[in-house]
Amino acid sequence: MNTTAISSNIQVITGNAAAAIAAKLARPDVVAAYPITPQTEVIEQISSFHASGDMDCELITVEGENSAMNAVMAASLAGGRVFTASSSWGLVFMYDAVLATAGARAPVVMVNVNRETPGIIAVSSGQQDMISTRDAGWIFLIAENCQEIMDLVLQSYRLAEDYDIQLPVMVHYDGFFLSYLSEGVEIPEQETVDQFLSVLKSQPKRTVLRPGEKLGVGTHGILGGYMELRHKHVTAMERSKAKFDAIDQEFADIFGRTYGGQLEEYLTEDADMVLVGSGSMCGTIKSVIDEQREKGVRIGLVKIRMYRPFPHQALVKALKGKKAIGVVDRSLAFGFDGGPIYTELKAFETKLGGAKLVSFIDGIANTDITKTNVKQMIQMTADLADGKDVPEVTWVSYPKANKDKGEK
Amino acid sequence: MAEKNKGRLTKVLDYLKYDDPFSKGVSFCPGCGLELLLRFIPRVLGNDIIITGTPSCSAPVLLGQNKQSWHTLSYFGTLMTGAAANATGLVRYYKKAGIDNTVVCFNGDGTANDIGFGNLSGAAERNEPFIYICYDNEGYMNTGIQKSGTTPYGATTTTTPYGTVHKGKNLRRMNLGVKMAMNKIPYTATATLSDLEDLAKKLLKAKKAKERGFCFLHVFAPCPTGWGANPADTIEICRQAVKTNYFPLWEAENGKIRMTKTVKKPKPVSSYTKLMKKFNHMTDADLQILQDDVEYETCLLGGLSVLEAECQLPVSAQD
Repeated sequence: MNTTAISSNIQVITGNAAAAIAAKLARPDVVAAYPITPQTEVIEQISSFHASGDMDCELITVEGENSAMNAVMAASLAGGRVFTASSSWGLVFMYDAVLATAGARAPVVMVNVNRETPGIIAVSSGQQDMISTRDAGWIFLIAENCQEIMDLVLQSYRLAEDYDIQLPVMVHYDGFFLSYLSEGVEIPEQETVDQFLSVLKSQPKRTVLRPGEKLGVGTHGILGGYMELRHKHVTAMERSKAKFDAIDQEFADIFGRTYGGQLEEYLTEDADMVLVGSGSMCGTIKSVIDEQREKGVRIGLVKIRMYRPFPHQALVKALKGKKAIGVVDRSLAFGFDGGPIYTELKAFETKLGGAKLVSFIDGIANTDITKTNVKQMIQMTADLADGKDVPEVTWVSYPKANKDKGEK
Repeated sequence: MAEKNKGRLTKVLDYLKYDDPFSKGVSFCPGCGLELLLRFIPRVLGNDIIITGTPSCSAPVLLGQNKQSWHTLSYFGTLMTGAAANATGLVRYYKKAGIDNTVVCFNGDGTANDIGFGNLSGAAERNEPFIYICYDNEGYMNTGIQKSGTTPYGATTTTTPYGTVHKGKNLRRMNLGVKMAMNKIPYTATATLSDLEDLAKKLLKAKKAKERGFCFLHVFAPCPTGWGANPADTIEICRQAVKTNYFPLWEAENGKIRMTKTVKKPKPVSSYTKLMKKFNHMTDADLQILQDDVEYETCLLGGLSVLEAECQLPVSAQD
């Protein structure tokens, strides 16, 4: 492992290494792995832990992502704790198994390193892979930095394997920007992680697939039974919101770091305007907000940490009464005028107490969301708050798209 | 428990050590080879096996889609694309947890040879300790009789119909059993329903060999509905498939092929094809192509069994 020790428990590591170490600390029974850029380093590190005996798991080096998901789904249904990782096309290739895993309520934990999926050279960052699979029935969490990747993976096991939830969880983080970013990460002690996860052992035993126990799994739905299962799935997703907030609180008590659960609010309390973002862009946005605050601009940030189920109640609470809201999307929603998260926020615009909404599309295909870009977004949101005429959608790094708007 | 019967025609009963875990009667096609096979397997291997199966004819039989068919086995209904990977996940977790298990991955030829071949191949490479049984009815029967990679030359299906331009499938079938044996897995075998003692012995060999890794059984299982055959002829079709060398019976330990039934004077393939409608339209010239293909495969199998006897796989690769 390529690390530089700063102190006994803080190391400078990549986002991928943070994911791999977190997986190791969770002590999974079965890990299935297949490489894909920019996730590859995750499974390389896990293979290295496995080879050196630091990770006592069954490591299945499968022949494709579809098998990775199928293998961990089955191991999970048999009663095991599991981990896998993917990205982009890999996530797409495992899609049928991704759906089956959710439908079977298998508490699988995986990381997805966000990457674009168009047919042009797509080795670039963007959240389109996440958006393309958003309604598969998984819980989706998004990390902002390497420390949060580590912490979210640990929290994910508590969420996925909770007896009241029993759903797969995917931890997303921006490919390239975070996968290969090295920064100081506090690595918890094994004993602390064991303590944090020990709650799961004292739960009622979930139904598992064992030899001779006469259980059928993945059987054909019989009309009414299917509706019942789907409804239970949806209500378990709803339960996961409050559960995630509670887990975050407990995490804070043990590890000393808190993020706020479904949403992280940054200087929103007295803000007139708010940007809504997710992932690595939030670090940049926070630094620009700090500068703007010094100039007296009352701007804040709402960072979406839980994307599925969509935390709409929490968002209403955080955004209600603001003058203007700028939503930053790192992906596209075809047929809607605006990015996917913007479009979803628009659905409950009436509950926001008159707040005006505007959509920014930026950071797709590895374009940087720079401080200059963020300043522009804040300026436009301020103009919207002042009642000026602001276009509903702005492609921040590609001004030509805005000029072309309306042309054939 | 089945009674031991030393009678001349009932030696196979000696292998039926366990109760039939299925309820009596299935409201599916009469003469179904798959159902006969599926009822046979747990009676030989035991009722504590876990069966995994994909959406196919096996699914309604296994799942009890119809209330007349039910069973008491542990069952995992999987996706066609990942059945062998599912079985892998199961056996690996049981290994980690120290749970004894026999996982039987039970799928049709569409899953095994076509859409699910990638993960079948991967499981063979990793030598995963479970038994994969392909019941080969030479097509996608539950979907409505479409051609698959194991549909033979000349056969009509709903995607290779008889027309003025094309007359049935104009491609040869793939040899799934040999393909799998060449992976040098601990045990590979072919079997069919006309030779039940042979099938039972092979199931038991597989159960033992899975302690050393991956086992694959390729079982010829007629589909009277899809093939246009008399349901009463299912076993006779199997018998003729063996006697014509259309479906030879062999086994391979670590890839070393050995015939388990040698056909000294093989009958012409027409004595097999005449038992069903899917070959009805074929001319003598068409049948000759099929005959030539059967002879090619038999020759290849003979050659492989001789060659493999001379070759030595490194010991380290055998376990």
